[in-house]
Amino acid sequence: MGKAALFVLLAAGAGALRAEITPDRLLRAQSDQSTWLMYSKNYSGWRYSPLTQINATNVSRLVPSWQFQSGVAGKFESSPLVFDAMMYFTAPTNHAYALDLASGHQIWHYAKALPPGVSICCGQVNRGFAALGNTLFKVNLEATLVAMDAKTGGVVWETTIDDVKKGYSATVAPLVVKNKVIVGVAGAEYGVRGFVDAYDAETGKRAWRFWTVAGPDDPGGKTWDGESWQRGGGSIWVTGTYDPDTNLTYWGTGNPGPDWNGDDRTGDNLYTDSVVGLDVDTGQLKWHFQMTPHDVHDWDAISDPILVDTAVNGRLVKALVQANRNGHFYLIDRVAGSFLYAKPYTNVTWSDGFDDRGRPFAIPAQAPAAEGIKSCPAVGGGHNWQATTYSVQTGWYYFPTTEGCQTYYKNRQEFREGLLFTGSTGSPIPLEPTSGAIVAMDPATGAIKWKYALVSPATSGLVSSAGGLVFAGTREGHFIALDAKSGKVLWKYQTGATVIAPPITYLFNGRQYVAVESGSTMMTFSLPEWESPGSPGGVR
Amino acid sequence: MKALILFAIMVAAAAAQAPKTNPLAQDPKAAEEGRVAFRGSCSLCHGIKGEGGRGPDLTVSAYATGTSDADLYNVIANGVPGTEMAGFASRFESDDIWRLVSFVRSIAGSSSSRVAGNVGNGERLFWGKGQCGQCHMVNGRGKRMGPELTQVGRRRSAAYLRESVVNPEADITPGFAMITVVTKDGKKIVGTQRGYDDFSVQLMDASENYYSFQKSDVASITQEYKSLMPNTLGRLFSESELNDLVAYMASLRGERR
Repeated sequence: MGKAALFVLLAAGAGALRAEITPDRLLRAQSDQSTWLMYSKNYSGWRYSPLTQINATNVSRLVPSWQFQSGVAGKFESSPLVFDAMMYFTAPTNHAYALDLASGHQIWHYAKALPPGVSICCGQVNRGFAALGNTLFKVNLEATLVAMDAKTGGVVWETTIDDVKKGYSATVAPLVVKNKVIVGVAGAEYGVRGFVDAYDAETGKRAWRFWTVAGPDDPGGKTWDGESWQRGGGSIWVTGTYDPDTNLTYWGTGNPGPDWNGDDRTGDNLYTDSVVGLDVDTGQLKWHFQMTPHDVHDWDAISDPILVDTAVNGRLVKALVQANRNGHFYLIDRVAGSFLYAKPYTNVTWSDGFDDRGRPFAIPAQAPAAEGIKSCPAVGGGHNWQATTYSVQTGWYYFPTTEGCQTYYKNRQEFREGLLFTGSTGSPIPLEPTSGAIVAMDPATGAIKWKYALVSPATSGLVSSAGGLVFAGTREGHFIALDAKSGKVLWKYQTGATVIAPPITYLFNGRQYVAVESGSTMMTFSLPEWESPGSPGGVR
Repeated sequence: MKALILFAIMVAAAAAQAPKTNPLAQDPKAAEEGRVAFRGSCSLCHGIKGEGGRGPDLTVSAYATGTSDADLYNVIANGVPGTEMAGFASRFESDDIWRLVSFVRSIAGSSSSRVAGNVGNGERLFWGKGQCGQCHMVNGRGKRMGPELTQVGRRRSAAYLRESVVNPEADITPGFAMITVVTKDGKKIVGTQRGYDDFSVQLMDASENYYSFQKSDVASITQEYKSLMPNTLGRLFSESELNDLVAYMASLRGERR
C-alpha cells in the first residue's frame, strides 16, 4: 500500500489537482471538465460533458487507451467517478476499485463477503459511488451504506439501512447533497416497503426517511387495501436528482408488490411508480406524480428524473423529464409536480391516452391473466434503468429502449418472507423477439428526432458531449458513438462483452477520455496520442 | 485480498452445504410456489405445465440428466453445459430451487406424450424418404445448415418434435433465423443465421457455405423468423411413418454408437 500511496503523490506532483470535494464543488460539477463527481455528472442528471476534443469529426479515430480486468463475475452497472487523478468504481457482489487514471493500475480494492440470506432479484449489482470531502460512499447488497477513505478504500463507517430478513437489499449509487448521503432500498420483488433515506456524511447517522409506500395513517394511505402497504414495494434503485433552487431532491420509485397481481392492493398504491419531490433537508414530500396508478405490469418509474428548463408552448418551464418504463415519455413541472404532457415513444397496448392530470387510461383486458396475455411494452418496459442523457448542445434528451411485447401471467401467491413475491411474471413470445433503439427526443414537444435501431434490446446507458456525440453500448458488445444530431454511427468498437454500465467522459492531462465497463473490464478510449492537444506526446 | 479469500471460502462452504435430498419435500406449499417460479422462468422452453417444447418434457418420471433430487437441483442451479439450459443459481436462492424441484416432482409421471413408433423404421425414413440429413447432422452424419440433432431426444419433447416436422415454422431454434443477404451486385444468398449484430451477419447456406458480411458492404440483410425446412413433410409421411420418425428422433439422446 505504501508504494501505491507514493504513486498517488507522484501523480499529484505531476500536475493533477487535488482538492477536497465540497458541497459547493458538487453544485458546480457540470463546469469541471476534468472530473466526474457524481452518478450523472451534475445534480440535474444530464450525463452531459462540455468537452469537445473528441467530436463528430474525429471520433472515427478513437482507440482504446487502457483496460482494467477486475475478474469479478456478474453484471457491471456502475457509473465511475473521476477526480484527483483517480477513477473509482464499484463492481458486483460488494467489490470496488480505485484505479490510477493515467495507467489503469489498481491502487486499492475493496471487497466484502456477501452474508447469507440476502434476497436479490436481478443480479448482485451496484451502480456506483458518491463522494464528499475525502470520502466515498456506496451501498452494499446487504442493505448497508459504507463510507470509505478515498485514498485507501478503508472503511470509515458502515450503517445498516434496513434488515435483509425483510427482503431489503441495496444497489443504488448514493446522491450527496450538502452534508447528506441519500440512498434507497431494493426489494420490491420480495415484499419490502420501500423508502428513501438520508444519512449524515460525517457520522452515518440517519437524518430522515421518506416511505415510498404510504402507511394507513399517511396521506395516500387509503390507496392500499388492508395490510398490503406493508409489502407494497416501491424500491429505490436508480439515483435521484437535485435542484438547489427548489431545494427538492427528485427520486423515481419502483413497482408495487406483488408486481403482476394487484388483487390485494386495489387502489392507486401511492407512491409507487411515481416521481417524488422531497425537501432535501427534511425528507418531507412536497409533491408526487404517479405515472402508473395501480400498476400490474412492473412499470417502475426509476429512469433518471432529469431536470431541464424548456419552453413548452412558448412558456419557459422548470421541467423534469423521464422516459418511463410504461412506454411513455413524461414532462412534469418540477416546482409544482404537475403534469405537462406525456407521449408514447414505443408500442404501448396496456393503456390508451391520459386524462388532463396525466392519469393513464389503463385497458383492463391488457392486465396479466392466468392463461397469459400479450401486452406491450415487454416486461422490462420500453425504457428501463439504463442511464439517459440531456445534451445542452442539441437541447435533446436521449434514451435507450426495448421494442416489443411479452406474455404476462398472473398467479395467486401467498407472501413468505425472503421469497420472490411477484404474483407470477412475463415470458418472451416465441418468434417475436424484442429489439431495441437509441432515441433522440425534443423534450419540449416529445417529437422523436431520430431513432437508431438495435438488433437487441438496449443494455447500456448513454453519455452525451458538446463534441456532438452520444455514446452507447450494445448487448452484442459494441461500444458506439452516434452523431447527436443525426443518429448516424460515427465509430464502433467490439469490446467482447455486453456493455451494461453507463459511460462517462473526462479530461486528464489535457486529453479527453471516454470510459465504460464491458463485461467485468473497465475500458477507456481516447484519440491517438499524436493528435491530442496537451498530451505528453505533444501536439501537431 | 484477505476479504477475497474469505469470500471464496464462504462460497465453497455454501456449495458444500447443499443437501442431497429436497429439504422442502414435506412442505405442502413448496410445489405450488415452485409452479409460480416455473411459469416465469421455465415455461418458455418447458411449457406452461412442464409438458415440454423447446426444452424437455418434465412430466416424464426419468430425466436424461439424472433423476435424484440432487440431480434436479444441480441442473436448475448450474444448467446443462453444451445445451440451451442455463443455470439459475444467480437468480434463485437455494430454497427457491428446491421449490422448483418440488414442482417438477409434482408433475412427474403425468406425461401424456407417448412415443409409439418404430425407431429403426424412423431412422430409415430420416435418412431416406425425408432427406433430413441434407440439412441436419446426427452423430457426425448429415449436413449442418439446420440444427444439430444428436441429442435432440433429450432436449425436446416428442410432441415438439412432431410439430417441428409437420409445421416447421411453429418455432425456430434460437440462433437459426432465416437470413437473406442481397449483395451490391444483386446476388441473393439465403441461409440460417450463425451470427447477427448491429453491424454484421454470419450465415450458412444449404451447400454448407459459410458467409460473413458487414452490413455496410451489402445492399440488404433480412432476418426473418421463418424456417428453411420444407413444410410438405406432414403430407409426405403417413401417420404411422410420422410416429416412426418422431420415435427415432426421440431416441437421439447423444449416446455414442
